[in-house]
Amino acid sequence: MDITIYLQLMIGGILLGGIYALVAFGLSLIYGVVRILNFSHGTLVAIGGILASLAYTDLGLPPYVSGIALVLAFGLFGRLFFQFLLEPLSARTPKEAEIGVVLVTVGALLMMSDIAAFLAGPTPKNIPVRFDPIELGDLILSSTQVYALAGIILLTVALHFFLRYSWFGRAIRAVSQDAFGATISAIPGKTLHGNTFAFGCGLVAIAGVLYATMFPVDPYMGFSLTVKAFTIIILGGIGNLTGSLLAGILLGVVESLAAFLIGSEWAPGISIMLLLIILVVRPQGIFGGKPA
Amino acid sequence: MNGSVKANTLMPLVFVAAAAVPFVTQSYGLAFSISLLSAFILAQSWDWLDGKAGYTNLGHFAFFGVGAYAFAILSSKGVAIYWGIAAGALAAMITALVLSFPLFRLRGNYFAFATLALLPLFEILAFNLTDITKGADGIPLSLPRQINLLYGLLLGGALAAVAVSFWLDRSRFGFALKAIRNDEQVAETSGIRIFPMKCAVFMLGSAFAGFAGAIQAWYLGYIDPPTVFGLDVALIPIAMALFGGSGLIWGPLVGVLILGTVHDLLLTHLPVLQTTAYGLLVLLIGRFLPGGLLRTKLLKKVPFLASLAQEHHDFAPSFSGDLGATPLFSPNARTEDASLVLDVQGVVMRFGGNAAVNDVSLQIKPGEVIGLVGPNGSGKTTLFNCISKVYEPTSGSIVLSGQSLASKRRDEVAHLGIGRTYQNPRPFGDLTVIENIAIALMFRGRDPLHHKQALVEAGRFAEFAGIGDKLSVRADTLSLQDKKVLEFARALASAPKLLLVDEVASGLTPTEVHRFIALLRAARDQYGVTIIWVEHIFWALAEIVDRIVVLESGTKLMEGSIEEAVNNQRVQEAYFGSKGEAA
Repeated sequence: MDITIYLQLMIGGILLGGIYALVAFGLSLIYGVVRILNFSHGTLVAIGGILASLAYTDLGLPPYVSGIALVLAFGLFGRLFFQFLLEPLSARTPKEAEIGVVLVTVGALLMMSDIAAFLAGPTPKNIPVRFDPIELGDLILSSTQVYALAGIILLTVALHFFLRYSWFGRAIRAVSQDAFGATISAIPGKTLHGNTFAFGCGLVAIAGVLYATMFPVDPYMGFSLTVKAFTIIILGGIGNLTGSLLAGILLGVVESLAAFLIGSEWAPGISIMLLLIILVVRPQGIFGGKPA
Repeated sequence: MNGSVKANTLMPLVFVAAAAVPFVTQSYGLAFSISLLSAFILAQSWDWLDGKAGYTNLGHFAFFGVGAYAFAILSSKGVAIYWGIAAGALAAMITALVLSFPLFRLRGNYFAFATLALLPLFEILAFNLTDITKGADGIPLSLPRQINLLYGLLLGGALAAVAVSFWLDRSRFGFALKAIRNDEQVAETSGIRIFPMKCAVFMLGSAFAGFAGAIQAWYLGYIDPPTVFGLDVALIPIAMALFGGSGLIWGPLVGVLILGTVHDLLLTHLPVLQTTAYGLLVLLIGRFLPGGLLRTKLLKKVPFLASLAQEHHDFAPSFSGDLGATPLFSPNARTEDASLVLDVQGVVMRFGGNAAVNDVSLQIKPGEVIGLVGPNGSGKTTLFNCISKVYEPTSGSIVLSGQSLASKRRDEVAHLGIGRTYQNPRPFGDLTVIENIAIALMFRGRDPLHHKQALVEAGRFAEFAGIGDKLSVRADTLSLQDKKVLEFARALASAPKLLLVDEVASGLTPTEVHRFIALLRAARDQYGVTIIWVEHIFWALAEIVDRIVVLESGTKLMEGSIEEAVNNQRVQEAYFGSKGEAA
């Protein structure tokens, strides 16, 4: 038994998990504040990755440049998507609003992946920036992935402080705890919902670009990423950044070990199995049987 | 609309027309009809869980896939077609049973999401379990294509699905699902054991999906993972049901007919981006018609078409308005006078470090009316929640007429004879007054009524409580006062030994309060119901209570007559603050 292999797998899993956690942040933030579960969340990640990859290979734009452009573009997209397609549903009965949100975001998921496959082709793409690998004894680390992970950790810390101390952060925490109370405290609830949705979509752009520097992205991978993000927020708690980061890393490590031990073809099913198992073993874990 | 032709009478004609198809054409028209019938079975069976019980199962198609695979695997091993189809339905049912345990921990969007995640999971299983499923190669079948037989089976399945929908609208099981859709906790405290109900409707729908899947596998002669577990195909029947109108008897059929035709046009006329077009359709339905085409206001104005939009409660059983001479239910026996109705010993309810109820003991004799008072946050409602098992007490014992309530579920406690109302009324909002009360009559522990009889008897309870003129009014449109009266009538309909009444009088005018007192008195005197009444209005309590129990900060401050309570210095301090501080 070679311990190095396991160490290598663990490190690979941690890197993978970091990306998953980043995807989960946006989903968790949007759900926590706006109470909308965006089924097309992971698909946006895939689109972001594909666009960044095309920008790099066809236009020669470095990932950080395309990243900034995508954050702005996705933010604007999110704002408009929310304003014209989701916000108007809040005037309907709760059941209709719930169904409406599901259909709108699922419809967007189907459209986005189909259009992306049509325009950019269904083949996986990545951003082939490569630095020299880092060697630690027998361990070999991809420096791209190490930089990406460092970026994720930095982003988590920055996000944490932003949500804790900025006006926007305080306001959305207020709205997520008590929307009515926030409104009568002169916080513009509707605008804030739209901006949170935009903010979450902007985060997705970063996740997409980072993802494409580490792994290939294809237009149809989106939903499985959403499933992973969902498993992570159930494990880590809604709106809990640290919890999400730890849960993401746990999922990444489990996936990478499972791929090695039982075969990589099973890795995409791990998160769903994990989700079902958590629901049985720790049902009251996060929601405690309250209406979701 | 009397005398005129209603659109819903034309609906059976759709099935007659469908039955005629194989006699007219054996080519394209037949293939199209097969796809519509298959989609209809899926859409209609999906709607039982969504439209009736309120759970949106986006993974319904996965059970279609399970049925298809079960059929294909068995048929390729030489099992007869009929057995293969039966096995397909059975396999889907068993899968649903197993998945009930994790999935029904979730609600709302979470449930929708987790069920959608079943599709990729099953797809991975189908790809990877190559020994059984042949993986990506798929399973080719060389079965005789008895197309007329196949068509007949599909038509039979579709008719059976319609029959089940009608049955669900009128049956006890269907009422349980409607109660669950509205408020699961209240459904439980009304005596419904909810998990088996949810599980049963999930299994029933899945069996139909598995049946349709098995026939599809037979028809295609080949299946592989993307055909039966692909995300793009999976949502089509659901979009159809929602487009027509989920929960409406004709919703899925109308949706399938319209969207099925649209989908067919897209497939034949659009060479690329078919999924995009369908996605756009799904998105637009969600944005503009989440309640369905049949629920739109415009359509309801067209007299001919309006009948299609019949909600399940658009029928009201006749009620004469006469209470009659027979009692509403046989009064609780007075023979158990010696024993206690309720014996609460040292109950503690902790939430984290905070003891909301701290070591409370209470003994109540049959026929007593006890007033439970105390400042806000003193633990009155929490104590009610412990007794009705909404909460499981941290420690202590609760005994009802000699039976310990330890480890009893909410519905069991309700069956033993505990009825309750809620501080903020929680009627089943989208059901009528009569349905609200009838549900309690159908699911009570003592002498439960057949659903037809329950709908008639419910009128008498409504009349008794004073809302006999509002039988077919939706409960969520009632005034606060009427909602409280309805809750009382619903609780009384469960023929309780002990009735827990939570702040019925607050927010009511003195006249209305007097009416309530009269109702409570009648419940006690005519039916031998023992009552605990949480209330802040002392003059109201003074009219009826035998004893008063005062809680403060989760502990029992005192117990005695209302005069003793009013003159008790500690009670005064609890309510008005200490005299020392005031001075």
